[in-house]
Amino acid sequence: MPKHESQHTANGLNNEQLLAGWLEGTLDKGTGLQFEKRCLEDDSFASQVETANFFAAGAELFQGEEVPSWDAEKTFLGPQKSPWWTWQGLPALSLATSFLAIVMLLTGLQIQTRDGALTISFSDQHSSQEVERLVAVKLSEFKLAQQLAMNNYSQGIQQQQIDASGRLTEYLLGASRKERREDFAELIKHVNEQRTDDQLFYARQVSKLQQDIFANPFEGGLSPTNQ
Amino acid sequence: MFEKSDEQLIAKALQGNMQAWLNLLKRHEKSIYNYGIRMTGKNEDALDLMQEVFISVFRNLGRFRGEGSFKSWLFSIAHFRCIEFYRRKKPMQALDDIPELSSQDKSMDENLYITQENQQLVQAMQQLPLSQKTVVELKFFGQFTFAEIAEQTGISSNTAKSRLYVALEKLKTLMEVDYAQA
Repeated sequence: MPKHESQHTANGLNNEQLLAGWLEGTLDKGTGLQFEKRCLEDDSFASQVETANFFAAGAELFQGEEVPSWDAEKTFLGPQKSPWWTWQGLPALSLATSFLAIVMLLTGLQIQTRDGALTISFSDQHSSQEVERLVAVKLSEFKLAQQLAMNNYSQGIQQQQIDASGRLTEYLLGASRKERREDFAELIKHVNEQRTDDQLFYARQVSKLQQDIFANPFEGGLSPTNQ
Repeated sequence: MFEKSDEQLIAKALQGNMQAWLNLLKRHEKSIYNYGIRMTGKNEDALDLMQEVFISVFRNLGRFRGEGSFKSWLFSIAHFRCIEFYRRKKPMQALDDIPELSSQDKSMDENLYITQENQQLVQAMQQLPLSQKTVVELKFFGQFTFAEIAEQTGISSNTAKSRLYVALEKLKTLMEVDYAQA
């Protein structure tokens, strides 16, 4: 391992980093002190700094050579069309469209076309015309539904009444027939009972007369009981 | 005062305006040429490399998004063209290998036409591996931050710092040798 790589400080800056910081002028107060201390304590580091200083000075004093005449036009290879994705305005256009999208989102922009009219609104809420239209549509729908329900209900009631009156008529007719039948049956029964009673009465009378006749055949059939 | 920015020149060049492209080239050719000198050690190679870099830049101009500076983007292309250049010249040598001086390289002085002051720095840099030389070049001559160097070369910032430190150790030794010889 090279000597400079092993020389780390508490701050973690090794010789390479210290020298690099010094060359770029990025050393702060603490690292600046560290740099000076390293220069005093480490001869090889000081020597490196000296070489860097020498080279930096040499580079500043370096007199650039003049370019000999050459065919510069040969490097111009003709007009070239840069690809569309390298267009300089693309980032700006991208930013602008993003901004527009954000504005559209935040303001709730709505674009509607109805009956050949283009409407642009900046709110999520509907316009009053739109609300009125929606209310009218809802009301007409509600009215239609109500009418239909009423028709169905009245038809139902009517049918129910017809059924009920029919059943009542049938009942009444049926009931009167049954009553009359029962009355006649009762009357016939009474007449039959009366007739039976009469038959018994006459049978007893005849029987009694028969007994009287057999008991007193000469008294004209009169029994003592008849006296 | 009314000089057009790099981005404006690029936009015009993309539309086919050759003059705008040549103006852009004029603005950056010296830095790329000297970058080539320091990276290759030869004027002719530097000129070839510069040409390759600008052809590559023109081909990729449409992909420049303007997210960083044009200079930084230009040097990142220069870095990759330089690696290709090295691989073409020395296919058997890894980027981290210390360059072996061939007979062609030994005659570098004859092929390098630069001022005496610059020569010492350039010659010392030629003896660094390409990976270290790149960091030294971008840090001291390109004045880039370690973060920018990391982005341009596709390494981490800490690796860039480490490579610079190792390169400086090597350069110190080389400079001492040079002084001793002088």
